[in-house]
Amino acid sequence: MKKIEAIIKPFKLDDVKEALNGIGIKGMTISEVKGYGRQKGHKEIYRGAEYIVDFIPKVKMEIIVDSSQADDVIETIRQAANTGKIGDGKIFVLPVEEVIRVRTGEKGEEAI
Amino acid sequence: MQGLSEMAQTTLEPQDFTGLQARRQALDAYWQQGVSGYALVRKHSEFIDHHLAGSFAKIVSAEDGFALVAVGGYGRQELYPFSDIDLMLLYDPARKNELNRVVEAILYPLWDTGLEVGHAVRTLDECISHAAEDFFFRVAMLDARLIAGSVPLFNKLTERYRTVYIEGKRQEFLDDMLDQRTKRETQYGRHTYLLEPHIKESCGGFRDIQSMVWTAQVVFGLKDLASLQEAGLLSREELVRFEEAQDYLVRIRNRLHYVSGRKNDQLYFEHQQEMAQAFGFSNQKEILAVEHFMRDVYAHMQAITVTTDLFFEHVEEVLGSEEILESAKAIEPGIEVRQGKIHLINTELLQNNPKFFMRLFYQSARTGIPLHFRTRKAITANLDKVDHKLCNSRRNAKLFLAILETPKPFRILEDMLDTGFLTSYIPELAKVKSLAQHDVYHVFTVDRHLIQTIKELEKLKKEESNIYAAVSSPHILFLAGLLHDVGKGYGHDHADRGADMARNLGARLGLEAGELETLDFLIRNHLFLSHTALRRDLEDEEFLMRCATRIHSPELLAMLYLLTIADARATGPTVWNDWKAALLLELYLKIVLLLERKDLSEHEQTRSAELGARWIREKVSELIPENDKIDFDLFSDDYLLSFPPEVIVEHIKQAKNLGKQDVLFSHEKNKESWSILVMTRDRSGLLARIFGVLALHNLNVLAAKIFTWADGTAVDAIEVSSAILESYDGQNWEAMEKELHLAIQQRLGLEFRLSRKLAPLRNKPKGVQQRLAAKVKIDNKASELYSVIEVFSEDRIGILYDITKTLSDFGISIYRARIGSKADQVVDVFYVLDYDGKKIEDPDFKKELQQGLLYAVTNI
Repeated sequence: MKKIEAIIKPFKLDDVKEALNGIGIKGMTISEVKGYGRQKGHKEIYRGAEYIVDFIPKVKMEIIVDSSQADDVIETIRQAANTGKIGDGKIFVLPVEEVIRVRTGEKGEEAI
Repeated sequence: MQGLSEMAQTTLEPQDFTGLQARRQALDAYWQQGVSGYALVRKHSEFIDHHLAGSFAKIVSAEDGFALVAVGGYGRQELYPFSDIDLMLLYDPARKNELNRVVEAILYPLWDTGLEVGHAVRTLDECISHAAEDFFFRVAMLDARLIAGSVPLFNKLTERYRTVYIEGKRQEFLDDMLDQRTKRETQYGRHTYLLEPHIKESCGGFRDIQSMVWTAQVVFGLKDLASLQEAGLLSREELVRFEEAQDYLVRIRNRLHYVSGRKNDQLYFEHQQEMAQAFGFSNQKEILAVEHFMRDVYAHMQAITVTTDLFFEHVEEVLGSEEILESAKAIEPGIEVRQGKIHLINTELLQNNPKFFMRLFYQSARTGIPLHFRTRKAITANLDKVDHKLCNSRRNAKLFLAILETPKPFRILEDMLDTGFLTSYIPELAKVKSLAQHDVYHVFTVDRHLIQTIKELEKLKKEESNIYAAVSSPHILFLAGLLHDVGKGYGHDHADRGADMARNLGARLGLEAGELETLDFLIRNHLFLSHTALRRDLEDEEFLMRCATRIHSPELLAMLYLLTIADARATGPTVWNDWKAALLLELYLKIVLLLERKDLSEHEQTRSAELGARWIREKVSELIPENDKIDFDLFSDDYLLSFPPEVIVEHIKQAKNLGKQDVLFSHEKNKESWSILVMTRDRSGLLARIFGVLALHNLNVLAAKIFTWADGTAVDAIEVSSAILESYDGQNWEAMEKELHLAIQQRLGLEFRLSRKLAPLRNKPKGVQQRLAAKVKIDNKASELYSVIEVFSEDRIGILYDITKTLSDFGISIYRARIGSKADQVVDVFYVLDYDGKKIEDPDFKKELQQGLLYAVTNI
């Protein structure tokens, strides 16, 4: 099993969710995160006041899938989240040792 | 049917159930019989009494020496299904040896039923000394009630308690009580209308009711609510409303224990729906059952809050009356300030002249002095005088708008809402009064949310003072804050409906046409920014441009931005955070810069360019030896602004050699690129020849600044890098300089040399892709003097030669050029004139040129 973590632009969330639903992904965890990579923060000056945006708002999605499905999910996210501009985000893939459903105690693929 | 009515006639009594184990069964039976509210909690209490008295009688032979006392809620005979049973066994120290036996006999059966029992075993002395330490016990003693045992012993306790803790201790008692009240407020929030109200501890909950009754008991010697009315502390209407609310809370608490299956006094989100059904509400088209139910809950708790607030103000005044007695000061006829409160001299004034309603609030807003509780009560009692005429009075409206412009309108509007005046004056708001929204975002009822929005706007005045400075009519912003959700409670599209309603209301308030437009706009679009910030690409210039067009002015944007933040913050803690703030700020800044670019910035840009050019002229003069005369008319501002002064001085020095040499060539190594400078007399096709030679020598053009002085000297500064990763020293600069001379003097077969060199590239079948990426724009508006040609294409070696060669073939003169590549894309901008020194206006020629350039960049 793999955990796929994607950092994307906030306004792309709906598109990505929809695309993932389209390939049968039903569950995911979403959080509001801030950070920066190549798309550095910036400083704006308006009417003499400085507005410093040092971290840029992004959305983080976490999805656990069976390893066989991982490539599909990654490609779907990549396509849906792509605007071609800097700051489109990144996708991380991590191995998952075990998944347990709290309610039933089911393990592994059953619990995804 | 016969059976049912028969059942209702026979009333069950505690003795009908054998043993404490039957408690649950007894409660069910009572409930089935239709016993609810106070009757049920009393029945429950009687049931426990009955069994405790039974156990007590069995074990204690002599009446004296022991007394079983109920305290707290149980003392008041208010036992909810899972309430604690607070007991105290009072004993005479002489009978200590029997104590264990008695305690076991009474408490064990209670424990066996699983009830929470709060118990204490004390002698009389212990009771009195314990009360000194424990505020809650001191208060619980007020409700002490003898269940079984020695009457004289119990009487002795109450007498000593009164002498020690009540008589002459009225002020201390009140202080303790108010202290506890404040602690409760900080812990549970000042507002009754929070998402999940705590029926016992929240404002307007049972604790508030009890504190009022206890205080009345201790301070005035009044034992219940009815005597409060007799003593004139409550009006008849207040009493009725209060008792109604109290009864409702009792029913809720009963049911809530039942629904949660444990001692739970908080109306948790997940219980609200079930509770609503139990109270007989059903879903309707616009409002859910649960929203109806919660609206009732909030309204009742609010009634209790208002009454107890007024009561405590009254008590404080009575007890504090000896302290200061300064004379009253009239602030206008009929209204005076006494002891830090605003009073209406005579409440009849309100009945005879309704203008006093608004005058009172206005004076309170203007002076910052709160209204006296009696005046607030008078306002509530006379709301029927707020008639159509008053609502339409312009003079009245002016005062109302003036209140919105004072530094702190929040407190006044809250007073208006609490007294009921706000909904009488603005009937449009009646629909949202106490209106709950059953979701996890909206912490407040709609009316409170609106008032809370005003509070947030008040704060933003300071926090965002820079942006707030753009707002020229704050009363419209605050009015929009007060009304933005007025359209709720009718189903979908509350923003549009609200805007329509606000427009009508605004007209009634006498707003001017422009102000009405603004109000309408703000309310109609109050969700626009927050939705956009989350859902749209903030780098989409075209979309931002549309936003700017829609919002139209920096002032409207500032108002909308402030309203959006205030609205979000007033909704609840999950709605507003740094993350959203950052997105919203980004959107705001992007739109505002677009909006301001048009009017302010363009002017400022030219102005700063002028200043910059002047500064450079001064610098250059300083750097040039005094006897050298420079004709600054040769240089355009644009040229001067494109290089540092030292470089310009260098150009001027070099130019002196141009008499001796036709072409000047120099090169220099930089960190990441190499700089080339070519200076020569301008001639047709010059740029193409330079770029051609660069291509022959495997140099990529990264950027170029191409200028022509007024005397016809071309100054071409070009940044290059080696396409074949040759080192700076390995580059054959001498051969290149030689070929450059030849090329410029038209003695080099550039075309054939390049075609031979680039031949291997032609084999790559990339035609289609390249044609897609390439774009040529010819713009006659961007510059006053020149046509501006932009060429977008994929980068490749020799492409600039192809472009500039094509331009030269068309007889086009290049006056300035900016060459830049972004990733693999080339964006080249040329400022040009045609063969006759005119802009390229002729549509046919324009098209021809476009085609020619496209062919040049795509045809390898």
